Amino acid sequence: MNYDKLLALSGELGCHLLLSGAEIYRVEESVRYLLGAYGVETGEVFAIPNCIIVSLTAPEGRVLTWVRRVPGHDTDISKMEDLNALCRRLCANPPELDEAAGLLDRVVRDRPQPGLLLRLSAYFLITSVFCLFFGGTAADALCGGLCGLTVGLLLPLLSRLGANLFFRAMVGGLSCGVTAAVLTALGLGEHLDLILTGAIMTQAPGLVVTNCMRDLMAGDVMSSLVKLSEGLLTGAGIALGTGVALGLARTLWGGL
Amino acid sequence: MALFLPCLYAFLACLGFCVLFRIRGLGAVLCSLGGALAWLVYLVSGPLSGGSVFLQSFYAAVFLSAWSEAMARLRKCPATGYQLIAFIPLVPGAGIYSMMEAALRGDAQDFLSTGLHTLGVAGALAVGVLVVSSLVRMFSHRRRPG
Repeated sequence: MNYDKLLALSGELGCHLLLSGAEIYRVEESVRYLLGAYGVETGEVFAIPNCIIVSLTAPEGRVLTWVRRVPGHDTDISKMEDLNALCRRLCANPPELDEAAGLLDRVVRDRPQPGLLLRLSAYFLITSVFCLFFGGTAADALCGGLCGLTVGLLLPLLSRLGANLFFRAMVGGLSCGVTAAVLTALGLGEHLDLILTGAIMTQAPGLVVTNCMRDLMAGDVMSSLVKLSEGLLTGAGIALGTGVALGLARTLWGGL
Repeated sequence: MALFLPCLYAFLACLGFCVLFRIRGLGAVLCSLGGALAWLVYLVSGPLSGGSVFLQSFYAAVFLSAWSEAMARLRKCPATGYQLIAFIPLVPGAGIYSMMEAALRGDAQDFLSTGLHTLGVAGALAVGVLVVSSLVRMFSHRRRPG
């Protein structure tokens, strides 16, 4: 058997699982099971949210290692489900390595993305509904939805430009703050704080912090620390952005 | 009505996140329903737990994990997807924002109290998830990954 190909296959699978937003234990388990299915008992895998290392010892004593850094990514549940199903299939009935690599390639390539219109309406829905959820009025919800639209328009652009996590959070917060302040000054929005809290919900790192606590309790301390700092950075970025926007609005319009 | 409207909002918000996280069809509806029901549990358990937000979050998390594990068995796919999105109304996203905002204002007292509150809620949710998923792992013999 070609152990280089096996290593590349399991490494790619783990890397794509991480990219789709799977939990650490799922990534490590999947890679370990896949190696086991091909009869490698000497495989080791270590994953944290932005890096994965797979290593195995081939029968003739050669040590092979594969390292991939995983860039920032969003969550794609359907990709994760497909990869999980593929992993189950490969483990239940391991095909030839080339064939398996082809199957993996087919799952990963050409994933349909939601259209711009659908995505924007999702942003509008989420932010406006969260304004209502936090106790805002219908007018607040409309303002929150408009703030969400600006975030939905800006974020894909920023990702394409390769902006990092902190900068994206800051620009998102800034656009929310500016839109909310302008709409409130125009008399459309009623409660600025509620609009803002709803508007930032598409970006707020609540999930990250909850996942961080879960990883911590499950014993994955490294990945928990990575996520905690990610959550704090995002929160700080949003707060900085909205803070700048509100400060500007205060100097321009006075007492908001 | 006081119970129904927030749950409806939670449902709609989850539906929106399903688009962003790319869950389609029946899965999206089931997952959003889980989010709405979990929020109902959160609200209803308020009087039972003496108004402790941590206990309420814990109950909601236990319910939600049980729901997502059941749905995952039913539809033969990982529970993560359901949990991730249905948790969004419960997770303290706004808390982290107000915590960092307090830090930027230089209000150390407010920073600490909102920060501890946020971490406490996140911890309560995580304990709820872990309790259920550990029980499920213990009682279902795992044949295959996933």
